[in-house]
Amino acid sequence: MTLFRRLLLVEWSGLAVAILLGALALSVIAPNFLTEFNLYVMLRSLSVGLLVAFAQMVTLGVGQMNIAVGALGGLTAIIFGATIELYGFPLLLAIPLALAIGALGGLINGLLTARTGVNAFIITLATASAFTGINFGITGSIPFYKMPASLVAFGDHHLGAMPYLLVAPLIVAFLLGLFFSRAAPGRELLAFGGNPQAAELSGISRERVVVSAHVLSGLLAAAAAVLAVAQLGSAQPTIGADWLLLSFAAPIIGGAALTGGHISVLGTLFAVLLLGLIQNGMVLAKVDPYWVQFVLGALILAAVGLNRWRAVNSGVA
Amino acid sequence: MGLALEAVSKTFPGVKALDSVSLDLKAGEIHALMGENGAGKSTLIKIVTGLIRPDSGRVLLDGRAVQFGSPRDALSEGVSAVHQERNLIPRFSVGENILLERLPTRNGLVDYGAVAREARRYLELLDPGIDARAKVLSLSVAQMQIVEIAKALSSEAKILLLDEPTASITEHETAALFKLLRKLRDDGVAIVFVSHKLEEVFAIADRITVLRDGKNVARGAPMEDMTRQTLVSLMIGRPERVAEIAERQVDPSRVVLEARGLSTTRGHKNITFALRYGEILGLYGLVGAGRSELAHAILGDARISGGELLIRGEPARIRDVHDASTRFRMGYVSEDRKQEGLILMHSITRNVAVTIWRRLANVIGLINPRAESRAVAPFIKRLDVRTPSLGQLVGNLSGGNQQKVSIAKWLAVQSEILIIDEPTVGIDIKTKTYLHELIGEIACEGAAILLISSDMAEMITLADRILVMHGFRLVGEVANDHQYETTSRAIIGYIHAVGDVTPAPAG
Repeated sequence: MTLFRRLLLVEWSGLAVAILLGALALSVIAPNFLTEFNLYVMLRSLSVGLLVAFAQMVTLGVGQMNIAVGALGGLTAIIFGATIELYGFPLLLAIPLALAIGALGGLINGLLTARTGVNAFIITLATASAFTGINFGITGSIPFYKMPASLVAFGDHHLGAMPYLLVAPLIVAFLLGLFFSRAAPGRELLAFGGNPQAAELSGISRERVVVSAHVLSGLLAAAAAVLAVAQLGSAQPTIGADWLLLSFAAPIIGGAALTGGHISVLGTLFAVLLLGLIQNGMVLAKVDPYWVQFVLGALILAAVGLNRWRAVNSGVA
Repeated sequence: MGLALEAVSKTFPGVKALDSVSLDLKAGEIHALMGENGAGKSTLIKIVTGLIRPDSGRVLLDGRAVQFGSPRDALSEGVSAVHQERNLIPRFSVGENILLERLPTRNGLVDYGAVAREARRYLELLDPGIDARAKVLSLSVAQMQIVEIAKALSSEAKILLLDEPTASITEHETAALFKLLRKLRDDGVAIVFVSHKLEEVFAIADRITVLRDGKNVARGAPMEDMTRQTLVSLMIGRPERVAEIAERQVDPSRVVLEARGLSTTRGHKNITFALRYGEILGLYGLVGAGRSELAHAILGDARISGGELLIRGEPARIRDVHDASTRFRMGYVSEDRKQEGLILMHSITRNVAVTIWRRLANVIGLINPRAESRAVAPFIKRLDVRTPSLGQLVGNLSGGNQQKVSIAKWLAVQSEILIIDEPTVGIDIKTKTYLHELIGEIACEGAAILLISSDMAEMITLADRILVMHGFRLVGEVANDHQYETTSRAIIGYIHAVGDVTPAPAG
């Protein structure tokens, strides 16, 4: 096997190469690509996407889906905004509360899935609609604008090209990596995703696995929502509406198995970075933003093809 | 119609699966294809049926070179196969599965009456007890195997390849299958028969081709010239070793698992038995007798509706499998290791350590990978799992090594009660002997083992006592004297006494 083929077998290798080539090409084509400000804007726009991608990655790990990531994120965002604007909650109270709302939504998804045995796709499709309904019921589509200055500052400030906002997803990425590679519950999630029957017969509790994956997913969606509010400077009811595609695209491009049992935190991170780069490049090249949608779709197909090739070549297909 | 393979080679990444292999199959013969796991039998069959293309060499059908692009091409030329893996659609009926490529229709719609009628013709040859209208997912593994065979028969093939067709069926059904195969042979069908059970090969084959490490070591040798010893040494490259199983002393008072008049929602009635520490208790029965179902019920996968289950003298309410393994220290080695036993896409280490992660985690809940490898390595070493590294994906191991991994995880967690369901189905001679010795050792060390097996010889080698199950009831108990003749007769006698079956000897 050639070195090139062997490199391709490493999940995130293709992504790393694509990112490098892309960045190189952009810095040649668009002189303002390598400016501190442009890099800051790009990285800042990735922050929310990373958490969204992780939220889906966790459910993909157990071989399920969470269609409600965006809906739950939207609901969390406006509850977060409401507690601050209407009830004057300090951030130290409002943030944990928002995260708890996300976890609660995940708990509902998880319990419904585990107890009824109905496919998580259907369950979360239904709860997504319900969460969105509550969201618009509460707000009547009107955003909460009065966000504390410290939150808005956190969403804006940066150190060189590095936005403060990016710190949160990087910490989360590190913790998730540790969780899935080293912690017993994380391992159990992946074991269950790899073969639910075998995992159950090995003494892993099905309900615990399914519920914890959905709770974690909800928690991450809520974290993404809080970041989105910080980034926008207001709690918009439409937050989360466009998360779904990215949430699947990034983990899959990053090498997650759709059947469950295998995910890559680093791969997902690189995938979000690549998608951000493409988006940024298209903006710099003044391409119609709708084409970004097209490129995203093509990339997912390419990634699935590469994963398939890899599975066949490592003999596990 | 005859089939010949000439100098066929096939290489997979890292393995030369077939190295210039030849096979010559004549019309009207049963040709055994033998070899240990990994010898290349299945690859060869997949080449003949068009699932895999050879790198070099030729496939000749009646002297004419053919290139099958898919199983469909092969079928249209009259070549049909029963593969080792299940290839049924679970939610379809038995009849639909059998007639899948040529469903009878009326006015353009599927005629389900005709489907059932047509399918029944083939089922009746093997096991009239299977309902052609039943869904495949409601069948036991053995019944599914019979449906697979019926499916292959139904294509009226001129060349029939059977890869381990008897792996999970009982002697009774095997006998029915053999009767049928002889009839097909006499009608001029050419049959390739792959099995790990030597007795069967001697009973049915006319000629034999043996593969070892992807090469021919025998090519169409007449069966009359073959003895068990020569065959085994051809296959494994050295003489066979008999399983050495140490004598165990079982203290009859040390009961660990006891069923008193148990009935279950799966349909078991009045099941009473006791299992002791250090004992191997066999559970034998025909297909559909309810053995695996009983194991699942004990493990909490089905509800116990009557009677009492006692574990270590205390009435036990097992809620689910998780409960069984953690609270009652029970382990289950599944009959279907790929579906229920292993996580194929994960490494050996993870598959074994899955039962002990919680124990390995440190104060802050993290597992040290080195500690994990250290915990797993002794079992992998003890079980002699052949692998370049512990990081190897289980999906890439041979069947025998996979089975060792699925046993290792229960050794790692030190289960006291081990339910082992068909431990050596589809596993080669060398590994089988090894697994038998291993099960003996585990019992010697004090674990209580409930052994479910359809392999009479295996039962008689391993068990201390054998419970005979029929129709979801226990119909007898045989003290095993380890003599095949007397014990097997006693077992069959019990089944015969209650059933309407007529067990013919396999052969």
